Amino acid sequence: MREKKPKCLHVSMFLIAAGLLLWPVAASSQVHPKDTEWPSYAADLAGTRYRPLDQINASNFSDLEIAWRIKTDNFGDRPEYKLEGTPLMVNGVLYATAGSRRAVIALDPATGELLWIHGEHEGKRGGAAPRQLSGRGLAYWSDGKEERILYVTPGFRLICLNAKNGIRVPGFGNNGEVDLKLNDDQEILPDLITGEIGIQSAPVVAKDTVIIGAAFREGMTPKSMRNNKGYVRGFDVRTGKRLWIFHTIPKKGEFGYDTWEKDSAEYTGNTGVWTQITVDEQLGLVYLPVESPTSDYYGGHRPGNNLFGESLVCVDLKTGERKWHFQLVHHPLWDMDISSAPILADITVDGKSVKAVAQPTKQGFLYVSDRVTGKPIWPIPEKPVEVGTVPGEWYSPTQPIPSKPPAYSRNGVSVDDLIDFTPALREQAKEIVSKYHLGPVFTPPSASILEGPLGTLTMGTASGGTNWPGGSYDPETHIVYVYACNSCIEPIGLVPAPKEVSDLKYVAGTAGRTVEILHGPGENAGADSPKPPKRSAGGGYTRLDVDGLPLVKPPYGTITAINLDKGEFAWQIAHGETEDVVRNSEVLKGMSIPRTGQETYNIGTLVTKTLVVAGEGHVTTTADHPRGSMLRAYDKATGKEVGAVFMPAPQTGSPMTYMVNGKQYIVVAVSGGPYSGEYIAYTLPTAGE
Amino acid sequence: MRYASAILVVGAIISSLGLLRAQTPAGESRSVWDGVYTEEQAKRGEPMYQKECALCHGATLTGGESAPPLTGGAFMANWNGLTMGDLFDRVRKTMPLSNPGRLTRQQDADILAFLLSANKFPAGNAELYRQSEMLREIRFESTKPAAKK
Repeated sequence: MREKKPKCLHVSMFLIAAGLLLWPVAASSQVHPKDTEWPSYAADLAGTRYRPLDQINASNFSDLEIAWRIKTDNFGDRPEYKLEGTPLMVNGVLYATAGSRRAVIALDPATGELLWIHGEHEGKRGGAAPRQLSGRGLAYWSDGKEERILYVTPGFRLICLNAKNGIRVPGFGNNGEVDLKLNDDQEILPDLITGEIGIQSAPVVAKDTVIIGAAFREGMTPKSMRNNKGYVRGFDVRTGKRLWIFHTIPKKGEFGYDTWEKDSAEYTGNTGVWTQITVDEQLGLVYLPVESPTSDYYGGHRPGNNLFGESLVCVDLKTGERKWHFQLVHHPLWDMDISSAPILADITVDGKSVKAVAQPTKQGFLYVSDRVTGKPIWPIPEKPVEVGTVPGEWYSPTQPIPSKPPAYSRNGVSVDDLIDFTPALREQAKEIVSKYHLGPVFTPPSASILEGPLGTLTMGTASGGTNWPGGSYDPETHIVYVYACNSCIEPIGLVPAPKEVSDLKYVAGTAGRTVEILHGPGENAGADSPKPPKRSAGGGYTRLDVDGLPLVKPPYGTITAINLDKGEFAWQIAHGETEDVVRNSEVLKGMSIPRTGQETYNIGTLVTKTLVVAGEGHVTTTADHPRGSMLRAYDKATGKEVGAVFMPAPQTGSPMTYMVNGKQYIVVAVSGGPYSGEYIAYTLPTAGE
Repeated sequence: MRYASAILVVGAIISSLGLLRAQTPAGESRSVWDGVYTEEQAKRGEPMYQKECALCHGATLTGGESAPPLTGGAFMANWNGLTMGDLFDRVRKTMPLSNPGRLTRQQDADILAFLLSANKFPAGNAELYRQSEMLREIRFESTKPAAKK
């Protein structure tokens, strides 16, 4: 099928007030002018999510008011309920991706006034995209004269816009676009329109090089062991020309190819970099957090350690050549990926200065290495782990387990972790988990059997722990702040895949339930299931809670401050109001239960001069506030909460901050449930108001 | 004149709402704990869920990197205190992701019946409605009411 050229939305691209774009940024006298901006997704290329601003502080955080807000409903042909973006603010303009079209919007950062909008109509190619909706953001580049905005559409095209008016830059690629499904050292199958590959993270631009990874559909139950591969490429920001490519699955003759036995590197796919990439411009090094190979939970068709699956890979910024790598998980079987931006930290360990890289993970370990050599700062010994019994699977007998810092969130399930508000609740929970295989981190998936185990009960796997929002880092105190779900349970069971469902031997599933082919959005009907055993509706599903109460004991979600000089926790707190289901529980009436935090995995943090700021991921209704969520501020030295402000819906995109016209703002994306996406900007009341 | 008629219309709406409320006996208010779908309907919905939803939301409803879970704390908290109408409208408006509204109201209702079943809300004798306005009369409550234990 020939690809229909996507239509560029010239009609919907309009310049509202070009004159407003050149407003000077009024810098506060105390801060460096650049510290007032937020020029890349994570504030800087080091992945810190840190700005040393302090107008909003412990004494006034609760006074914050909404300065402006913008609903994203109209930036697409339908509203979006999962707004995950973090805007940029640079040179007096705020830029963001927004809406179901993944439009780019430019706003006045003081008032929220829309300055321009750009959208790309991609037709079927957009509809078939594996990663849809507004994505996580965009990149800004300037050589001091020209200013450009770069983003990737759902249909996997890199678009370069003039930051002043939102119009495509004609000299970049083909009239402002580079088709990322082409020139990828592989043919994207089956065709350019439906070929599965995309990305939702924000591009990174470092020293005139744009770096783009790749993402795919969820990999729990793929139709095939074969898939497109997620290579990483660097492009010239001026011309769109490809500068380099890094093969995340090595080609024959390349380093690591022999970690794929039986030539499985030839056909295995995925293994992309779907999350944020970090760069040290000074060293000229790029840090690539690589995800799982096909498929997430069954690796019988890819025997071997599978480099560079779930590895942190350091490559040269100019050439893409590999400098070093560290595989966090050998032969990945848990969908741990590497899910967030590596954090660059210049620290002092035992009196010596070290340029380090710290990698938060779904499995709750912070892997800290020398970022020049890749050598761990504290030993990460190979330790024996359980070898499973799923037929045809290949198991690594050992896994690297950091000796320091300790795991900052649960990464296994034991009876000790179960709910213990009352002995009766503990007994109920024990009954539920008795149907599953339990164990510590790296306990392998189980073949699902009706009599038990139905699967392995895991934590710190698909959801994490720390998922895509990652952590923050304070370069002054050398402390990493990281949110983690401490109760996101994932049952991993495997069932034989009928031939009409998948060519894999095993796919994710539960005994007693029909194995269905999992269709992507928009795909047509598939095969019928093999004769299913008789069951009642909902049979085979186990609600992994106890009368609505979480199966494990609190805290359900935490923020941990980790001192990187020492490899030790500075503090750890439960983040988020006690869940309604706990506060309103009849069973727990009269009990005094400290704040539990919340069972959610997509919370990003912001660090300022004195505060750690993070919103809640759940909705609650309390005596203090109506149905909604709170944006909370903690004293970054102690973890003590110092203020909170109401949001109408949970935080779904990580907060950012900037200063304009002498005022500090915090912008956060909220959405979820029945509340469609909205960016909300908070600021302090003007004196006299 | 225009304003006057607008006020009259608004007034009429308000008074009719008040009337409706007055006519609804408190005892008839229902929640997801009152058997608002049938087992048969949930059985119809399960293969539809697996075909249309599971790729992103997971075969066991636990969600994925790109889609939220449809069971457990996050799901319950998001919808607790709202109605099945809110949940139904959200599905109608946005799912399946690539072509929202492709499924019929009946199919959406069957999928929601399956979600209720998988989340262990009790089945009853009547099927889950497919009309938003009727579904708005069914409260989504994550906690089992004490009296119904």
